[in-house]
Amino acid sequence: MARRQRGSSAPRKNGRVGYGVPALLAIGLHVLVVVVSVISLPQRQPESQSTSIVQATLVSTETTTDQAQRAEEARARAEERRAEEEARQAEAEEQAEAEAEAEAEREAEQERQRQAEQEQAERDEARRLQEARQDAEEEAQRRAEEAERQAQLREEQEAERQRQREAEEEARREAEEEARREAEEEARREAEEEARREAEEEARREAEEEAQRQREAEEEARRQREEEARRAAEAAAQGLERAIEGESDSVSDAQQGDEAANSFINLVRRAVEQAWVIPPGASNSLDVTVQVQLGPSGELFGATITQSSGDSSFDRSAIQAVEAAAPFNELRQLPPAAQRDFRQFNLRFTPGDVR
Amino acid sequence: MNDSMSIPHLIMSASTVVQLVMLILVIGSILSWVVIFQRTFVLRRARRAHQSFEERFWSGVDLNELYRETPSEQETQGAEHVFRAGFREFNRLMAKTKSADAILDGVQRSMRVAWSREEERLTLHLVFLATVASASPYIGLFGTVWGIMGSFQSLSMAQQATLATVAPWIAEALIATAMGLFAAIPAVIFYNRLSSETDRMLGKYEDFAEEFHSILHRNLQGRSEAGAA
Repeated sequence: MARRQRGSSAPRKNGRVGYGVPALLAIGLHVLVVVVSVISLPQRQPESQSTSIVQATLVSTETTTDQAQRAEEARARAEERRAEEEARQAEAEEQAEAEAEAEAEREAEQERQRQAEQEQAERDEARRLQEARQDAEEEAQRRAEEAERQAQLREEQEAERQRQREAEEEARREAEEEARREAEEEARREAEEEARREAEEEARREAEEEAQRQREAEEEARRQREEEARRAAEAAAQGLERAIEGESDSVSDAQQGDEAANSFINLVRRAVEQAWVIPPGASNSLDVTVQVQLGPSGELFGATITQSSGDSSFDRSAIQAVEAAAPFNELRQLPPAAQRDFRQFNLRFTPGDVR
Repeated sequence: MNDSMSIPHLIMSASTVVQLVMLILVIGSILSWVVIFQRTFVLRRARRAHQSFEERFWSGVDLNELYRETPSEQETQGAEHVFRAGFREFNRLMAKTKSADAILDGVQRSMRVAWSREEERLTLHLVFLATVASASPYIGLFGTVWGIMGSFQSLSMAQQATLATVAPWIAEALIATAMGLFAAIPAVIFYNRLSSETDRMLGKYEDFAEEFHSILHRNLQGRSEAGAA
């Protein structure tokens, strides 16, 4: 009985299998599992990431028209600004032209003056020549008279019989002289006349030339002015056209796909709306405008709030949406002229648009 | 992104409750595997010991000799233990009473006690395995629910709910469930396997006890007839 009690109450030796080896095995197994999972998971991660594509969401048409219109407005404004600038430039050009004209006129005036001076000088010269010729004639006359007197004296001394003949001869000589003088006079007058005519001709030709040059300059200026005006008008018309186009685009969704610029805006808007997480407490009446600045290849340079909604978390969510949606690589597909327009644009966020 | 979504990073950045749940699950998993290994070894040894003992028992050896050869009662296991308990009781009662029924009753009682001790020994810790198997999915689920709750609370404060901001929290919450399943699945499989094997061993012991009982009964029948004659 005592032995039995002892046997039943004695501490049982619990098997020959200890717990050390199983514990080691179990821990080893877990370490192995952890190591395998750590090693293999980083390799599997990128594959699973590539499948995480979020597809398009429903967008109400109201935002489409609204934002497209806004973009169009901005574009028209830019166009206007450019036209203004062009007009200013044209004005400056015109002014420069006027100045050039005045300059040309002044030069012409000077030319005319110079010509007049020259004419005067020519006339003086001619007068001097005439005087000199008169002097020479007088001298010659005096000399001839002296010679005559001497001859008379000699004749008187020699003989008086030859007087008649001599008188005759003298008369003849005198007539000759007279004729010569007269011829000389005639020639001189003629030469004078010639010189005057020539000078006149010269002056007239020059004046004509000057006038023509002036006319040409005027013509040129006029043509330039016209060109300038035409270009400005064209630019303005283009801007207007584009604005009209934008409006019509915004009116009909179907036409939106046609315009590359508009489709770009749509793309941007869609991407931003997808990335936009509206804060849960935001009411539909909130409205925030974000100015987006893009780089040449569509990367985001900056997003700033131009018109706050008053709810800072809402503003922040809009900025974050733009940041999450960037970069807008579609910008490179636009024509270069349109690219410049879209380097900076405004986006308006209203919760009602997305919900 | 890749770095922040890696499992160690997720575990480190989880909330305290979720980390605690994960710790419990890791400990449960380790302990269940300790039990699995230990039980497997124990059962393999018991099977071998039973095989060798049965061979010896049925080899026609004298029972007194066999009783003397076997080690003392505390060190014996399985069928050997049952045999020793039964034969010792038989010898003791033989000296005290002539009644065959009383002797056989005592032997049977003694063998039943030995058998139940064997059962206790073989099924030791199997209940723990069953507990891990059934409870760890719920514990993991609790961790997940708690983590997602926390993530939604933080979400409402952050006022930002993109997929990228929600994903790490949900992932880290789901890790708890994954760990619960990781602990539970082997526990369930091995619990079923070990318990069925244990049942089979215990059945073998029971069979042996019955056979031994019939041998003793035969002996007593012969002796009581001789005593009566």
